[in-house]
Amino acid sequence: MTAGSLTAETIELDADPRALYELSLEERWGDGVPLLPPTDDVIESLLVTTPYPPEHVLCALPPRYGVATVELVAINAAMAGCTPAAFPYVIAALDAITVPEWNAFGLTTTTSSVFPMLIVNGPSRDDVGIDYRAGCMGGAAGRGSMTIGRAVSLCLRNIGGQRAGDTSRSVFGQPARFGMCFGEWEERSPWPSLARRRGFDETDDVMTVHGGKGTFPLADINNDDPRDLLYLLAKSIAFPLSNMYLGHAENGQVVLAINPMWAERFAAPFPDVEEMQAFLWEHAWQPVELWPAPNQEILRKKERVRDDGRVHLVERPDQIVPIVCGGLGSLHAIALPSFGESEMQSVAVVRA
Amino acid sequence: MYAYAWIGTLESMTETITIRRPTAAAGEDVSAPTFTVDGPLEGLRVGLRTDLAWRSWQLIADIWADYLRRDGAHPVTVETSAQVGDTASQDRSHIEQLAEDVDCAIVGLGTCGSCTSFAIADAVIVEKHRKPSIAVVAEEFATHGHNMARHLGHGDLKILVLPYPLEARPEHELREIADTYYPTALKLLGVRP
Repeated sequence: MTAGSLTAETIELDADPRALYELSLEERWGDGVPLLPPTDDVIESLLVTTPYPPEHVLCALPPRYGVATVELVAINAAMAGCTPAAFPYVIAALDAITVPEWNAFGLTTTTSSVFPMLIVNGPSRDDVGIDYRAGCMGGAAGRGSMTIGRAVSLCLRNIGGQRAGDTSRSVFGQPARFGMCFGEWEERSPWPSLARRRGFDETDDVMTVHGGKGTFPLADINNDDPRDLLYLLAKSIAFPLSNMYLGHAENGQVVLAINPMWAERFAAPFPDVEEMQAFLWEHAWQPVELWPAPNQEILRKKERVRDDGRVHLVERPDQIVPIVCGGLGSLHAIALPSFGESEMQSVAVVRA
Repeated sequence: MYAYAWIGTLESMTETITIRRPTAAAGEDVSAPTFTVDGPLEGLRVGLRTDLAWRSWQLIADIWADYLRRDGAHPVTVETSAQVGDTASQDRSHIEQLAEDVDCAIVGLGTCGSCTSFAIADAVIVEKHRKPSIAVVAEEFATHGHNMARHLGHGDLKILVLPYPLEARPEHELREIADTYYPTALKLLGVRP
């Protein structure tokens, strides 16, 4: 590949790093944090890692349906600081986001805080710098996690045209809108990895995209019986103002990130993850009387209220998705509540 | 030593780099044709698209359905409720069917980000059947509604803007809004005596 194969407009600017930062703020390219210069040599180093030519159209990204060529994605990934090894993960994430059932059309424009949360499985996690141990959802600062998440965010902003207060009507946003990408600690999971459960091989590197509304922290220091603790986790994720109660029960997933110590405890009574999901589902409900009359009316109209008066968070156990990650300090879990009207998507990472 | 440092600074200040623009080119601002009733209301089948999420709009749409009947038209109501999954597929096929069956349609409600996007998209489905339609959007989401219409290639789609917020208003205010904006809805559809 030569520089002649790149077609995006060139801009000459002062080499002082502050010049690009100022320009990015002026042009609204950035996320408010300094960017690295997308020079041809860096862009080309990313492009050679994919099987696609620069002009290959990956997708049209909502909300403005900007055409995402591989070159444009590489430019944004270069600004985010992606390494060549990380770039195919960015492409996989965009492939997943633009599957219609992920509902990028709704999610990029909603008043909700929802944003693509990227979950990585596969043997290359360490090589790429994907965080899956302590601080994996913020603070661990692995280059892969930080730059892949940020690159996807920049693509949505610069190619899709998603901008808060403008095309995006998000009322609050969330920190993950800077970019959120973490891995599963597969080696410490007593169950098959998320990717394996979604049909991929253990040799596959896989990007899963979840439309997550935020990180919802859960903690406990009092329960010795793993079933009691799982019961409380189930009750906690079924909070009454969850988006999952606004939509249809059969849509969306709630991710439940479990630390490795708790995973080990839970695996004793539930060596089969599907049995644990069934247990969580069995307790993830609230009595319809919990809600005031107007909510009850809508819940009944959506056929969410069962004969026993229970309103389950989701229709099926597989919609509660456990993953194992985080530090060994135990005591905590994190739920990633869903927008509801969005189906999690997984895509294999493809390299040249 | 200081002289060298100064020269170095000068050199770095004059150095330039060449970068590539990271933004996608704006799409062409071409709008598909829009349609108007350009005739009387009497005898027309008027689609009314409601949304299970918005009780305020259900009330207004119910009132307008009564007024349409009073004025000699035949309202045909479709309620949507989902954005993905089987229910969403059924919703969209109901909208397609509505577009087939009616002479014109009133599509609401846009009063959140994603529901505005879907309301606009459903209004566009009707227009693609070469039938007049208007999207009903609350004021806070009016700009977003116009943007979405433009991004979907229907920048001239007619949008009726209702006061915001509609939710949590007392019923008598919603009835006043229904009364006030009914003639505007008909006018936007192109109804004339």
